[in-house]
Amino acid sequence: MPTVTFKGKTYEVDEDGFLQDPESWDEDFAYYVKEEEGISELTDEHWKVIRYLQEYYKKNGIAPMVRIMTKVTGYKLKQIYELFPSGPGKGACKMAGLAKPTGCV
Amino acid sequence: MAEMVANRITDIGPPKYDEMWPEIIKNNYGKWLHHEILEPGVLVHVAESGDKLYTVRCGATRLMTTHMVEDYCKIADEFCGGYFRFTTRNNVEFMVTSTEKLEGLKKALAAAGNMPIGGTGHSVTNIVHTQGWVHCHTPAIDASGPVKSVMDALFDYFTSMKLPAQVRIALACCLNMCGAVHCSDIAILGVHRKPPVIEHSHLDKMCEIPTTIASCPTAAIKPSKVDDFKSVAVNADRCMYCGNCYTMCPAMPLADADGDGIAIMVGGKVSNSKCMPKFSKLAIPYIPNEPPRWESTVKAITTILEAYVSGAKRYERIGEWIERIGWERFFDVTGFEFTKRHIDDYRFAATTWRTSTQFKW
Repeated sequence: MPTVTFKGKTYEVDEDGFLQDPESWDEDFAYYVKEEEGISELTDEHWKVIRYLQEYYKKNGIAPMVRIMTKVTGYKLKQIYELFPSGPGKGACKMAGLAKPTGCV
Repeated sequence: MAEMVANRITDIGPPKYDEMWPEIIKNNYGKWLHHEILEPGVLVHVAESGDKLYTVRCGATRLMTTHMVEDYCKIADEFCGGYFRFTTRNNVEFMVTSTEKLEGLKKALAAAGNMPIGGTGHSVTNIVHTQGWVHCHTPAIDASGPVKSVMDALFDYFTSMKLPAQVRIALACCLNMCGAVHCSDIAILGVHRKPPVIEHSHLDKMCEIPTTIASCPTAAIKPSKVDDFKSVAVNADRCMYCGNCYTMCPAMPLADADGDGIAIMVGGKVSNSKCMPKFSKLAIPYIPNEPPRWESTVKAITTILEAYVSGAKRYERIGEWIERIGWERFFDVTGFEFTKRHIDDYRFAATTWRTSTQFKW
Protein backbone atom coordinates (compact mmCIF):
# COMPACT_ATOMS: atom_id res chain seq x y z
CA MET A 1 0.00 0.00 0.00
CA PRO A 2 1.42 3.45 -0.83
CA THR A 3 1.98 5.89 2.00
CA VAL A 4 2.37 9.65 2.10
CA THR A 5 4.48 11.55 4.59
CA PHE A 6 3.37 15.04 5.52
CA LYS A 7 4.72 17.20 8.33
CA GLY A 8 6.61 14.19 9.68
CA LYS A 9 3.51 11.97 9.83
CA THR A 10 2.88 8.96 7.63
CA TYR A 11 -0.56 8.10 6.24
CA GLU A 12 -1.58 4.95 4.42
CA VAL A 13 -3.48 5.93 1.24
CA ASP A 14 -4.71 4.27 -1.95
CA GLU A 15 -3.65 5.13 -5.49
CA ASP A 16 -6.09 8.07 -5.57
CA GLY A 17 -4.83 9.52 -2.29
CA PHE A 18 -7.82 8.49 -0.18
CA LEU A 19 -7.07 7.55 3.43
CA GLN A 20 -7.10 3.75 3.90
CA ASP A 21 -8.36 3.92 7.47
CA PRO A 22 -10.74 6.72 8.51
CA GLU A 23 -9.47 6.27 12.09
CA SER A 24 -6.02 7.53 11.12
CA TRP A 25 -7.40 10.95 10.09
CA ASP A 26 -6.14 14.08 11.76
CA GLU A 27 -6.16 17.75 10.83
CA ASP A 28 -2.76 17.52 9.20
CA PHE A 29 -4.17 15.06 6.67
CA ALA A 30 -6.63 17.74 5.59
CA TYR A 31 -3.65 20.09 5.05
CA TYR A 32 -1.93 17.37 2.98
CA VAL A 33 -5.01 17.08 0.73
CA LYS A 34 -5.18 20.88 0.55
CA GLU A 35 -1.70 20.92 -1.01
CA GLU A 36 -2.61 18.08 -3.38
CA GLU A 37 -5.85 19.76 -4.46
CA GLY A 38 -4.21 23.14 -4.92
CA ILE A 39 -6.45 24.90 -2.40
CA SER A 40 -4.76 28.09 -1.18
CA GLU A 41 -6.03 28.04 2.41
CA LEU A 42 -8.49 26.15 4.57
CA THR A 43 -11.17 28.57 5.72
CA ASP A 44 -13.91 28.10 8.30
CA GLU A 45 -16.21 27.21 5.42
CA HIS A 46 -13.93 24.31 4.45
CA TRP A 47 -13.86 23.10 8.04
CA LYS A 48 -17.64 23.37 8.34
CA VAL A 49 -18.03 20.98 5.39
CA ILE A 50 -15.29 18.64 6.63
CA ARG A 51 -16.70 18.45 10.16
CA TYR A 52 -20.20 17.89 8.84
CA LEU A 53 -19.08 15.04 6.56
CA GLN A 54 -17.25 13.36 9.44
CA GLU A 55 -20.14 13.78 11.82
CA TYR A 56 -22.62 12.35 9.28
CA TYR A 57 -20.29 9.44 8.45
CA LYS A 58 -19.81 8.61 12.11
CA LYS A 59 -23.53 8.66 12.79
CA ASN A 60 -24.81 6.93 9.62
CA GLY A 61 -21.88 4.93 8.25
CA ILE A 62 -22.24 6.53 4.82
CA ALA A 63 -21.31 9.80 3.16
CA PRO A 64 -24.32 12.13 2.87
CA MET A 65 -26.08 12.65 -0.43
CA VAL A 66 -25.20 15.93 -2.08
CA ARG A 67 -28.69 17.32 -1.45
CA ILE A 68 -28.45 16.60 2.26
CA MET A 69 -24.97 18.09 2.50
CA THR A 70 -26.01 21.29 0.74
CA LYS A 71 -29.19 21.58 2.78
CA VAL A 72 -27.49 21.19 6.16
CA THR A 73 -24.33 23.22 5.48
CA GLY A 74 -26.28 25.86 3.56
CA TYR A 75 -23.68 25.86 0.75
CA LYS A 76 -25.05 25.33 -2.74
CA LEU A 77 -23.26 22.82 -4.95
CA LYS A 78 -21.66 25.72 -6.81
CA GLN A 79 -20.17 27.01 -3.55
CA ILE A 80 -18.97 23.52 -2.64
CA TYR A 81 -17.06 23.43 -5.93
CA GLU A 82 -15.62 26.87 -5.17
CA LEU A 83 -14.34 25.50 -1.85
CA PHE A 84 -13.28 22.11 -3.22
CA PRO A 85 -12.45 22.38 -6.96
CA SER A 86 -12.54 18.57 -7.40
CA GLY A 87 -16.06 18.45 -5.98
CA PRO A 88 -17.74 16.96 -2.92
CA GLY A 89 -16.47 13.39 -3.55
CA LYS A 90 -12.88 13.64 -4.72
CA GLY A 91 -12.28 16.88 -2.84
CA ALA A 92 -14.30 17.17 0.35
CA CYS A 93 -14.71 13.46 1.23
CA LYS A 94 -11.03 12.81 0.60
CA MET A 95 -10.09 15.73 2.84
CA ALA A 96 -12.44 14.52 5.56
CA GLY A 97 -10.86 11.05 5.47
CA LEU A 98 -14.03 9.26 4.33
CA ALA A 99 -13.97 6.05 2.28
CA LYS A 100 -13.51 6.51 -1.46
CA PRO A 101 -16.81 6.90 -3.34
CA THR A 102 -17.81 3.71 -5.19
CA GLY A 103 -20.24 2.62 -7.89
CA CYS A 104 -20.34 3.73 -11.52
CA VAL A 105 -18.77 7.15 -10.87
CA MET B 1 -6.82 26.87 -5.62
CA ALA B 2 -4.44 28.93 -7.66
CA GLU B 3 -3.15 27.07 -10.73
CA MET B 4 -5.86 24.39 -10.68
CA VAL B 5 -8.64 26.90 -11.34
CA ALA B 6 -6.73 29.62 -13.18
CA ASN B 7 -7.57 29.73 -16.89
CA ARG B 8 -9.86 26.73 -16.51
CA ILE B 9 -12.45 26.44 -19.27
CA THR B 10 -15.63 24.55 -18.31
CA ASP B 11 -19.19 23.83 -19.44
CA ILE B 12 -18.61 24.45 -23.13
CA GLY B 13 -20.25 21.17 -24.17
CA PRO B 14 -19.48 19.25 -27.36
CA PRO B 15 -18.90 21.06 -30.66
CA LYS B 16 -22.19 21.75 -32.46
CA TYR B 17 -23.19 18.76 -34.58
CA ASP B 18 -23.45 20.67 -37.84
CA GLU B 19 -19.88 21.98 -37.70
CA MET B 20 -18.63 18.70 -39.15
CA TRP B 21 -21.26 18.12 -41.82
CA PRO B 22 -20.18 17.50 -45.39
CA GLU B 23 -21.43 20.20 -47.79
CA ILE B 24 -24.09 17.89 -49.32
CA ILE B 25 -25.62 17.15 -45.90
CA LYS B 26 -25.64 20.86 -45.00
CA ASN B 27 -27.44 21.65 -48.27
CA ASN B 28 -30.05 18.91 -48.06
CA TYR B 29 -30.72 18.77 -44.32
CA GLY B 30 -34.37 17.82 -43.79
CA LYS B 31 -35.01 17.47 -47.52
CA TRP B 32 -34.33 13.83 -48.25
CA LEU B 33 -36.82 12.00 -50.48
CA HIS B 34 -35.88 8.34 -50.33
CA HIS B 35 -33.01 5.94 -49.92
CA GLU B 36 -31.93 2.58 -51.27
CA ILE B 37 -29.46 -0.10 -50.27
CA LEU B 38 -27.39 -0.62 -53.43
CA GLU B 39 -25.46 -3.60 -52.08
CA PRO B 40 -24.38 -4.81 -48.63
CA GLY B 41 -22.75 -1.87 -46.87
CA VAL B 42 -23.58 0.73 -49.55
CA LEU B 43 -26.51 3.16 -49.32
CA VAL B 44 -27.72 5.97 -51.53
CA HIS B 45 -29.90 8.83 -50.29
CA VAL B 46 -31.66 11.04 -52.84
CA ALA B 47 -32.66 14.60 -51.95
CA GLU B 48 -35.44 16.84 -53.31
CA SER B 49 -32.78 18.79 -55.22
CA GLY B 50 -31.73 15.57 -56.98
CA ASP B 51 -28.47 15.42 -55.01
CA LYS B 52 -27.31 11.88 -54.36
CA LEU B 53 -25.34 10.86 -51.27
CA TYR B 54 -23.57 7.50 -51.32
CA THR B 55 -22.65 6.02 -47.95
CA VAL B 56 -20.25 3.13 -47.42
CA ARG B 57 -20.48 1.45 -44.02
CA CYS B 58 -17.45 -0.40 -42.62
CA GLY B 59 -17.11 -2.65 -39.62
CA ALA B 60 -14.88 -1.31 -36.86
CA THR B 61 -13.47 -2.84 -33.71
CA ARG B 62 -14.63 0.03 -31.44
CA LEU B 63 -11.42 -0.26 -29.40
CA MET B 64 -8.87 1.26 -31.77
CA THR B 65 -5.53 3.00 -31.82
CA THR B 66 -4.92 6.56 -32.98
CA HIS B 67 -3.15 4.98 -35.96
CA MET B 68 -6.42 3.33 -36.98
CA VAL B 69 -8.26 6.65 -36.71
CA GLU B 70 -5.50 8.22 -38.80
CA ASP B 71 -6.10 5.55 -41.45
CA TYR B 72 -9.81 6.49 -41.48
CA CYS B 73 -8.83 10.14 -41.79
CA LYS B 74 -6.55 9.39 -44.76
CA ILE B 75 -9.39 7.62 -46.59
CA ALA B 76 -11.77 10.46 -45.72
CA ASP B 77 -9.23 13.03 -46.97
CA GLU B 78 -8.72 11.18 -50.23
CA PHE B 79 -12.36 10.49 -51.15
CA CYS B 80 -14.78 12.35 -48.85
CA GLY B 81 -13.38 15.88 -48.45
CA GLY B 82 -12.12 14.97 -44.98
CA TYR B 83 -15.50 13.89 -43.57
CA PHE B 84 -16.54 10.58 -41.98
CA ARG B 85 -18.74 9.48 -39.11
CA PHE B 86 -19.34 6.69 -36.60
CA THR B 87 -22.72 4.94 -36.30
CA THR B 88 -24.58 4.10 -33.08
CA ARG B 89 -23.19 0.55 -33.37
CA ASN B 90 -19.63 1.83 -33.80
CA ASN B 91 -19.36 1.17 -37.52
CA VAL B 92 -17.64 3.78 -39.69
CA GLU B 93 -19.41 5.53 -42.56
CA PHE B 94 -17.72 7.28 -45.47
CA MET B 95 -19.85 9.50 -47.71
CA VAL B 96 -19.27 10.46 -51.35
CA THR B 97 -21.38 12.25 -53.97
CA SER B 98 -20.55 10.44 -57.21
CA THR B 99 -20.41 6.85 -58.40
CA GLU B 100 -16.81 7.28 -59.66
CA LYS B 101 -15.66 8.29 -56.20
CA LEU B 102 -17.75 5.46 -54.73
CA GLU B 103 -15.87 2.87 -56.81
CA GLY B 104 -12.50 4.36 -55.81
CA LEU B 105 -13.54 4.42 -52.15
CA LYS B 106 -14.68 0.78 -52.21
CA LYS B 107 -11.36 -0.26 -53.77
CA ALA B 108 -9.37 1.68 -51.18
CA LEU B 109 -11.37 0.13 -48.31
CA ALA B 110 -10.87 -3.37 -49.71
CA ALA B 111 -7.15 -2.69 -50.09
CA ALA B 112 -6.92 -1.53 -46.46
CA GLY B 113 -7.83 -5.08 -45.36
CA ASN B 114 -9.24 -4.03 -41.98
CA MET B 115 -12.25 -2.01 -43.15
CA PRO B 116 -14.84 -4.63 -44.19
CA ILE B 117 -17.85 -3.21 -46.01
CA GLY B 118 -21.27 -4.34 -44.77
CA GLY B 119 -23.70 -4.07 -41.88
CA THR B 120 -26.72 -2.75 -43.77
CA GLY B 121 -30.22 -4.22 -44.20
CA HIS B 122 -31.02 -7.71 -42.99
CA SER B 123 -27.52 -8.50 -41.77
CA VAL B 124 -25.64 -9.09 -38.55
CA THR B 125 -24.04 -5.72 -38.02
CA ASN B 126 -21.49 -4.71 -35.40
CA ILE B 127 -21.75 -6.06 -31.83
CA VAL B 128 -22.41 -3.41 -29.18
CA HIS B 129 -20.02 -4.34 -26.38
CA THR B 130 -18.28 -3.22 -23.21
CA GLN B 131 -14.86 -3.06 -21.55
CA GLY B 132 -14.24 -6.60 -20.31
CA TRP B 133 -10.76 -7.43 -19.08
CA VAL B 134 -9.33 -4.48 -20.98
CA HIS B 135 -10.39 -1.86 -18.46
CA CYS B 136 -13.23 -2.74 -16.02
CA HIS B 137 -12.99 -4.17 -12.47
CA THR B 138 -16.35 -6.00 -12.27
CA PRO B 139 -16.43 -8.17 -15.44
CA ALA B 140 -17.22 -11.90 -15.46
CA ILE B 141 -16.03 -12.29 -19.06
CA ASP B 142 -13.98 -10.42 -21.62
CA ALA B 143 -15.65 -8.18 -24.22
CA SER B 144 -13.29 -7.60 -27.16
CA GLY B 145 -12.21 -11.27 -27.29
CA PRO B 146 -15.66 -12.91 -27.59
CA VAL B 147 -16.81 -10.15 -29.96
CA LYS B 148 -13.92 -10.85 -32.32
CA SER B 149 -14.61 -14.61 -32.18
CA VAL B 150 -18.34 -14.23 -32.84
CA MET B 151 -17.91 -11.72 -35.67
CA ASP B 152 -15.29 -13.99 -37.27
CA ALA B 153 -17.83 -16.82 -37.28
CA LEU B 154 -20.68 -14.59 -38.55
CA PHE B 155 -18.62 -12.52 -40.96
CA ASP B 156 -20.57 -13.86 -43.92
CA TYR B 157 -23.76 -12.41 -42.39
CA PHE B 158 -22.05 -9.00 -42.04
CA THR B 159 -21.17 -8.75 -45.71
CA SER B 160 -24.53 -10.07 -46.99
CA MET B 161 -28.23 -9.37 -46.43
CA LYS B 162 -29.76 -12.82 -46.49
CA LEU B 163 -31.41 -12.95 -43.05
CA PRO B 164 -35.19 -12.70 -42.50
CA ALA B 165 -34.60 -9.40 -40.66
CA GLN B 166 -31.73 -7.56 -39.03
CA VAL B 167 -30.10 -9.42 -36.13
CA ARG B 168 -28.65 -7.26 -33.37
CA ILE B 169 -26.04 -8.91 -31.17
CA ALA B 170 -24.77 -7.25 -27.99
CA LEU B 171 -22.36 -8.20 -25.24
CA ALA B 172 -22.00 -7.02 -21.65
CA CYS B 173 -19.29 -8.42 -19.40
CA CYS B 174 -21.38 -8.24 -16.21
CA LEU B 175 -25.07 -7.84 -15.50
CA ASN B 176 -24.79 -4.12 -15.04
CA MET B 177 -25.62 -4.62 -18.74
CA CYS B 178 -23.87 -1.53 -20.07
CA GLY B 179 -25.04 -1.27 -23.65
CA ALA B 180 -27.90 -3.17 -25.23
CA VAL B 181 -27.93 -6.80 -24.05
CA HIS B 182 -31.36 -6.47 -22.45
CA CYS B 183 -32.93 -5.47 -25.77
CA SER B 184 -30.99 -7.35 -28.45
CA ASP B 185 -31.89 -10.23 -30.75
CA ILE B 186 -28.97 -12.20 -29.33
CA ALA B 187 -27.21 -11.14 -26.14
CA ILE B 188 -23.98 -12.39 -24.58
CA LEU B 189 -23.82 -11.70 -20.86
CA GLY B 190 -21.09 -12.32 -18.29
CA VAL B 191 -22.37 -14.08 -15.14
CA HIS B 192 -20.85 -15.24 -11.86
CA ARG B 193 -21.74 -18.47 -10.03
CA LYS B 194 -20.10 -17.99 -6.63
CA PRO B 195 -20.89 -15.60 -3.76
CA PRO B 196 -18.43 -12.81 -2.94
CA VAL B 197 -15.40 -13.32 -0.73
CA ILE B 198 -15.62 -10.98 2.26
CA GLU B 199 -12.40 -9.32 3.37
CA HIS B 200 -13.45 -8.65 6.96
CA SER B 201 -10.24 -7.02 8.17
CA HIS B 202 -10.64 -3.89 6.05
CA LEU B 203 -14.27 -3.94 4.87
CA ASP B 204 -15.41 -1.24 7.29
CA LYS B 205 -12.46 0.95 6.35
CA MET B 206 -13.05 0.84 2.60
CA CYS B 207 -16.81 0.46 2.40
CA GLU B 208 -19.96 2.17 3.54
CA ILE B 209 -21.71 -0.80 5.13
CA PRO B 210 -25.30 0.57 4.79
CA THR B 211 -24.75 1.26 1.08
CA THR B 212 -23.42 -2.26 0.61
CA ILE B 213 -26.42 -3.81 2.35
CA ALA B 214 -28.83 -1.69 0.31
CA SER B 215 -27.12 -2.75 -2.93
CA CYS B 216 -28.36 -6.34 -2.66
CA PRO B 217 -31.50 -7.07 -4.74
CA THR B 218 -32.31 -10.21 -2.71
CA ALA B 219 -31.43 -8.85 0.75
CA ALA B 220 -28.73 -11.47 1.30
CA ILE B 221 -26.37 -9.08 3.10
CA LYS B 222 -26.64 -8.11 6.75
CA PRO B 223 -24.30 -6.30 9.12
CA SER B 224 -22.17 -8.59 11.25
CA LYS B 225 -19.27 -8.48 13.68
CA VAL B 226 -16.43 -10.86 12.75
CA ASP B 227 -13.36 -11.13 15.02
CA ASP B 228 -14.04 -7.64 16.42
CA PHE B 229 -14.21 -6.21 12.91
CA LYS B 230 -17.35 -4.38 11.83
CA SER B 231 -18.26 -6.22 8.65
CA VAL B 232 -21.11 -7.93 6.80
CA ALA B 233 -22.37 -11.49 6.39
CA VAL B 234 -23.72 -12.92 3.13
CA ASN B 235 -26.45 -15.53 3.20
CA ALA B 236 -25.22 -17.75 0.36
CA ASP B 237 -28.68 -19.29 -0.06
CA ARG B 238 -30.10 -15.90 -0.96
CA CYS B 239 -27.14 -14.71 -3.05
CA MET B 240 -27.53 -14.90 -6.84
CA TYR B 241 -24.01 -13.60 -7.55
CA CYS B 242 -25.02 -10.35 -9.24
CA GLY B 243 -21.91 -8.58 -7.93
CA ASN B 244 -23.73 -5.36 -7.04
CA CYS B 245 -22.16 -5.42 -3.57
CA TYR B 246 -18.68 -5.50 -5.11
CA THR B 247 -19.56 -2.47 -7.19
CA MET B 248 -20.33 -0.62 -3.97
CA CYS B 249 -17.71 -2.26 -1.74
CA PRO B 250 -14.18 -3.12 -2.95
CA ALA B 251 -13.74 -5.59 -0.05
CA MET B 252 -16.24 -8.09 -1.54
CA PRO B 253 -14.63 -9.44 -4.74
CA LEU B 254 -16.39 -12.32 -6.51
CA ALA B 255 -14.63 -12.85 -9.85
CA ASP B 256 -13.65 -16.52 -10.20
CA ALA B 257 -11.94 -18.25 -13.09
CA ASP B 258 -14.00 -21.46 -12.86
CA GLY B 259 -17.27 -19.94 -11.69
CA ASP B 260 -17.58 -17.13 -14.22
CA GLY B 261 -18.98 -17.58 -17.68
CA ILE B 262 -21.51 -16.56 -20.30
CA ALA B 263 -25.30 -16.55 -20.38
CA ILE B 264 -26.99 -16.23 -23.76
CA MET B 265 -30.26 -14.32 -24.10
CA VAL B 266 -32.46 -13.96 -27.17
CA GLY B 267 -35.46 -12.15 -28.57
CA GLY B 268 -35.10 -8.50 -27.57
CA LYS B 269 -35.63 -5.48 -29.80
CA VAL B 270 -36.02 -1.72 -29.46
CA SER B 271 -37.93 -0.74 -32.58
CA ASN B 272 -41.69 -0.22 -32.62
CA SER B 273 -42.25 -1.87 -35.99
CA LYS B 274 -45.01 -4.53 -36.08
CA CYS B 275 -44.83 -5.26 -32.34
CA MET B 276 -43.79 -3.44 -29.18
CA PRO B 277 -40.15 -3.39 -28.07
CA LYS B 278 -39.16 -6.54 -26.17
CA PHE B 279 -36.69 -7.53 -23.50
CA SER B 280 -34.35 -10.39 -24.39
CA LYS B 281 -34.96 -13.64 -22.47
CA LEU B 282 -32.66 -16.36 -21.17
CA ALA B 283 -31.80 -19.12 -23.67
CA ILE B 284 -28.65 -20.64 -22.14
CA PRO B 285 -27.89 -20.04 -18.45
CA TYR B 286 -24.20 -20.87 -18.52
CA ILE B 287 -21.37 -21.46 -20.96
CA PRO B 288 -17.83 -21.58 -19.56
CA ASN B 289 -15.30 -18.88 -20.34
CA GLU B 290 -13.05 -20.25 -23.07
CA PRO B 291 -10.42 -17.69 -23.99
CA PRO B 292 -9.13 -16.85 -26.50
CA ARG B 293 -11.81 -18.04 -28.98
CA TRP B 294 -14.90 -18.91 -26.84
CA GLU B 295 -15.77 -21.88 -29.10
CA SER B 296 -18.92 -23.04 -27.23
CA THR B 297 -20.35 -19.52 -27.20
CA VAL B 298 -19.70 -19.07 -30.91
CA LYS B 299 -21.31 -22.46 -31.58
CA ALA B 300 -24.41 -21.58 -29.53
CA ILE B 301 -24.89 -18.29 -31.38
CA THR B 302 -24.41 -19.95 -34.75
CA THR B 303 -27.04 -22.55 -33.74
CA ILE B 304 -29.57 -19.84 -32.83
CA LEU B 305 -28.90 -17.94 -36.04
CA GLU B 306 -29.22 -21.02 -38.26
CA ALA B 307 -32.45 -22.13 -36.60
CA TYR B 308 -33.79 -18.59 -37.04
CA VAL B 309 -32.80 -18.42 -40.71
CA SER B 310 -34.52 -21.70 -41.50
CA GLY B 311 -37.61 -21.07 -39.36
CA ALA B 312 -38.49 -17.40 -39.53
CA LYS B 313 -40.70 -15.60 -42.03
CA ARG B 314 -39.52 -12.54 -43.88
CA TYR B 315 -39.24 -9.39 -41.69
CA GLU B 316 -39.58 -11.44 -38.51
CA ARG B 317 -37.09 -10.50 -35.78
CA ILE B 318 -35.79 -13.33 -33.56
CA GLY B 319 -38.17 -12.40 -30.72
CA GLU B 320 -41.19 -12.32 -33.06
CA TRP B 321 -40.20 -15.68 -34.54
CA ILE B 322 -39.91 -17.29 -31.10
CA GLU B 323 -43.21 -15.87 -29.92
CA ARG B 324 -44.93 -17.17 -33.05
CA ILE B 325 -43.57 -20.72 -32.77
CA GLY B 326 -43.61 -20.78 -28.94
CA TRP B 327 -40.69 -21.03 -26.54
CA GLU B 328 -41.03 -24.83 -26.22
CA ARG B 329 -40.47 -25.06 -29.99
CA PHE B 330 -37.47 -22.71 -29.74
CA PHE B 331 -35.79 -25.14 -27.33
CA ASP B 332 -36.80 -27.96 -29.70
CA VAL B 333 -35.27 -26.52 -32.83
CA THR B 334 -32.08 -25.24 -31.18
CA GLY B 335 -31.58 -28.35 -29.07
CA PHE B 336 -30.77 -26.24 -25.99
CA GLU B 337 -31.61 -27.84 -22.69
CA PHE B 338 -34.45 -26.23 -20.72
CA THR B 339 -33.56 -26.15 -17.02
CA LYS B 340 -34.97 -24.80 -13.78
CA ARG B 341 -32.61 -21.83 -14.26
CA HIS B 342 -34.82 -20.62 -17.09
CA ILE B 343 -37.84 -20.22 -14.83
CA ASP B 344 -38.15 -16.70 -13.47
CA ASP B 345 -38.15 -16.53 -9.66
CA TYR B 346 -37.63 -12.83 -8.98
CA ARG B 347 -40.42 -10.79 -7.36
CA PHE B 348 -43.10 -10.53 -10.08
CA ALA B 349 -42.04 -13.87 -11.58
CA ALA B 350 -45.59 -15.20 -11.77
CA THR B 351 -46.36 -12.88 -14.69
CA THR B 352 -43.89 -14.89 -16.79
CA TRP B 353 -45.33 -18.33 -15.97
CA ARG B 354 -47.88 -19.98 -18.25
CA THR B 355 -51.44 -19.48 -17.12
CA SER B 356 -53.04 -21.30 -20.02
CA THR B 357 -53.51 -24.80 -21.36
CA GLN B 358 -52.13 -23.77 -24.74
CA PHE B 359 -48.99 -25.77 -25.22
CA LYS B 360 -47.28 -27.78 -27.94
CA TRP B 361 -46.02 -31.24 -27.01
